[in-house]
Amino acid sequence: MPQLVIDGRRIEVPTNTNLIEAARLAGIDIPYFCYHPYLTVVGQCRICLVEIEGQPRLAIACATPAAEGMIVRSETSPRVKEAREAVMEFLLANHPLDCPVCDQAGECLLQDHSMAEQGNRFATHMVETRRTFPGFERRLIGPHVVQNQNRCIHCSRCIRVTREISETSALTYKSRGNSTYIDTFDGGPFDDPFSACAADVCPVGALTIREFRFRKRAWKLRSTPSVCPGCSIGCNIWIDHDERLVYRFTPRENPDVNATWLCDYGRFLAESLNEEPATAVRHRVSGELLTVSRKEALLAIGQELRTARTLHIVASANLSTEELFLARELFAGELKGELVVPVDPGQPKRMKNGRGEWLNASDAHPNSSGARLLGLTIVDGERLRGFLGEAADLTVLLDPTAHPFLATDEALRLLRPRPTLVIGRGSHAMADLATWLVPGATQACNEGTFVSSLGALQRFSAAFAPSGEERPLWRILTWLAAALGASQLALSQPAEVFSLMASREKAFFGASWGSPETAGIEPPGEHQHVG
Amino acid sequence: MEATLLRARGEKGSVSLDSFLRRGGYEGLRKALSIGAEAVTKEVINSELRGRGGAGFPTGRKWTFVPRDHPGPKYLVCNADESEPGTFKDREIMEVDPHLVLEGIAIASFAVGASTSYIYIRGEFVRWARILEAAIAEARERKFLGRNILGSGFDLDVWVYRGAGAYICGEETALLESLEGKRGFPRLKPPFPAIVGAFGKPTVVNNVETLACLPSIIMNGAVWFTSIGRPRNTGPKLYSVSGHVNRPGVYELPIGTTFREIIFEHCGGIRGGKALKAFFPGGSSAPVLAARDLDVRADFDACAEAGSMLGSGGVIVLDESVDMVEVACNLAHFYAHESCGQCTPCREGADWCMDILERILEGHGRPADPETLLRICRFASGGMTICPLGDAFSLPISSLVGKFPEDFERRIKPAAPLPTKKFPVLPWSRPGTGFGV
Repeated sequence: MPQLVIDGRRIEVPTNTNLIEAARLAGIDIPYFCYHPYLTVVGQCRICLVEIEGQPRLAIACATPAAEGMIVRSETSPRVKEAREAVMEFLLANHPLDCPVCDQAGECLLQDHSMAEQGNRFATHMVETRRTFPGFERRLIGPHVVQNQNRCIHCSRCIRVTREISETSALTYKSRGNSTYIDTFDGGPFDDPFSACAADVCPVGALTIREFRFRKRAWKLRSTPSVCPGCSIGCNIWIDHDERLVYRFTPRENPDVNATWLCDYGRFLAESLNEEPATAVRHRVSGELLTVSRKEALLAIGQELRTARTLHIVASANLSTEELFLARELFAGELKGELVVPVDPGQPKRMKNGRGEWLNASDAHPNSSGARLLGLTIVDGERLRGFLGEAADLTVLLDPTAHPFLATDEALRLLRPRPTLVIGRGSHAMADLATWLVPGATQACNEGTFVSSLGALQRFSAAFAPSGEERPLWRILTWLAAALGASQLALSQPAEVFSLMASREKAFFGASWGSPETAGIEPPGEHQHVG
Repeated sequence: MEATLLRARGEKGSVSLDSFLRRGGYEGLRKALSIGAEAVTKEVINSELRGRGGAGFPTGRKWTFVPRDHPGPKYLVCNADESEPGTFKDREIMEVDPHLVLEGIAIASFAVGASTSYIYIRGEFVRWARILEAAIAEARERKFLGRNILGSGFDLDVWVYRGAGAYICGEETALLESLEGKRGFPRLKPPFPAIVGAFGKPTVVNNVETLACLPSIIMNGAVWFTSIGRPRNTGPKLYSVSGHVNRPGVYELPIGTTFREIIFEHCGGIRGGKALKAFFPGGSSAPVLAARDLDVRADFDACAEAGSMLGSGGVIVLDESVDMVEVACNLAHFYAHESCGQCTPCREGADWCMDILERILEGHGRPADPETLLRICRFASGGMTICPLGDAFSLPISSLVGKFPEDFERRIKPAAPLPTKKFPVLPWSRPGTGFGV
């Protein structure tokens, strides 16, 4: 544990910490462009120069490990200030400075540093025409990434992502010197499974994400900590949203799960949270669709649930642990129904954690492990077909997207003649045949916990309130519980459901809603987007 | 002085092994194998041999950085990527005496415990690569290379690896990257190649001329070697002299010969009887020296004292007719082209220098230009970059601006108008292109 002094602040840091991280611990920001905490150090941008007492030359903080007794000067050294200004002048000499029309503006390291250090005093000695890369101004290099080579500052972060994280080595430098540019190695499309991460780590607007480009200015977005619903790994994300629209998912740092990465599949699920909501509770009576008030509907549904002799419930591994617990207590416990959780293995997915280890997804759901911990019956597609084929007085679908089988014609044929209660979005085929359709809310409006296949209990927060009549499932279940007279389940917060669960379930003994182990949640702060 | 490194010069068929053996070839290796690696290293340290590639680092000390008890392979790499403008000494050695290089490689490999050695040769040196390959085949056949060399139990394989034509691959870590089949980007140091070198193993990189010095050090002893030159600057040195002299070429002279002697005695003075204006003492990367510095001794320490460096010993002579702006522009063009593009100050700075100098040459110089040039050079050198290429372009250009300001002032008119600015063409103003994505 070496002790050192940075800008007059004494600090003790773990061995092998570089000076950038050491300074961060001391509360000092050393600027950097090419350094990234989860990529190898290349020392290319030269902006992180610091003065170390006893060394004649300035050293780059990213490649200098903190050593015992080191005296480092960053902000307080005129030499450093002068050198950094020179590096900025070099970097900006050929940078287009088109911030007003650049989509990276607001989350651009070059812009941030330029504004923080130089404000409006920036002056260049350059009178020459800028270097440009004709034809590379807006080039779609892959399905998700748009390149503007004119803005590139040659930090090689994107190259290192494809080399070290996705291990495809898809991107490379081509040409030499000042005409160096980024391209795919073979010149083909950049179809890496982590391609958007290359754009994520780009400190400037050279690589931007096609799906997000020009949809929203970065400073208008609000970020809510959440967990990716794409698979069982449970990558930590920020839901970036404005008003009631989700604009994108960005990775939230967690060294144990996804470091600062997110696969393209998970990232572009963001759009699925923006589906058109169902506006009201609907009841189908002899082929006719009626709109019912929620109060009436809950009473009527409660009545039907009570009278049903055989009750089938299809839950989902996409539900939060609290919702699964409520469903089990209510339907299986209170009403003695039969409850299954369908689990689809899905396409293989993997993620690299902060130690460079691959994590493999066990299935396509964020909470299959939670369902297992609650002792629920897990079924595959084949057994789900059998379950739906059995006669039942009432079939309850808690999530129409629980399994791909539910979207097939066969599933619709099996359920069409039966009375069904569907809770979910209005755009699913199952919703169209439902006897009762209660609008459910998306994850963006929900709050709860998922248990990842790594065994981590992770909390996600609600980004915004649900619109219209739609409500998160846990809320609908607590109302149903109230309608059915199960007052111990008629709770008003997911946190209360959680503490009830934590007091009753062996697997969740001792887990707490707010503790960081549970949630891994940090308040949205300045380092929310690493990169 | 009797020629040591170029003693085969003028001999017919000197590249053959028989000819080399007649000159006492491979005796140094035989002796090295008999006295042991420790003794060889000690002899080289005592000889005060300094690397001839340009940096002048003591060769024996460099070897001692290699961990002795490292398990697994170690490598010796012969740097034959001679691309410094004005330097052509290694080519001369390889051309007349390839076996001398091989013998040096074998001695060095034995000293550091490497059993595989690579000769990284400049891509353009096709003929010299063939000469070396032929020499290696011949030496292997006669058991001077390969398994159990001269019955000593020491094994050594030597491979010739041709570069792909980048100046930067003469820098030892870029060379290693290139040798590994990667893009020639210099590595961050530390770790130094002696610890983590080629393929992640301890590696020593030595210049051709350095290696060619070894057989005679082993044969004649460190005392003989130190008798040439002065303390810390010892041994014979090859000077490749080019430019406006009557007899350009490679000259083997005792290190520390004055530039006056090199230029006026050995090279026959300035061509056409003109006056000397300036000279680069050690390739184009060394700061230029003016005519008044002629009595500086051509060794590492004296050149450093004079504010320049001996570098590779490539003396480029410029007569009075030369315009220093053109020299600077020529250099800037070379370095901008050869900058690898990895780190900011060199990538942007070299190109920027070139643009400014070209503009001055076109007659659009501005009074602030020399100042700007000096500022670029200041912040692209002295540890601002990963490798010394930043210094390599900065030092000569800033020395040209600093020592010959009159050449620049002559071309800069006080109120020279700027050339019309060319604005980049926006894609949608070009016919046939849409709005992009």
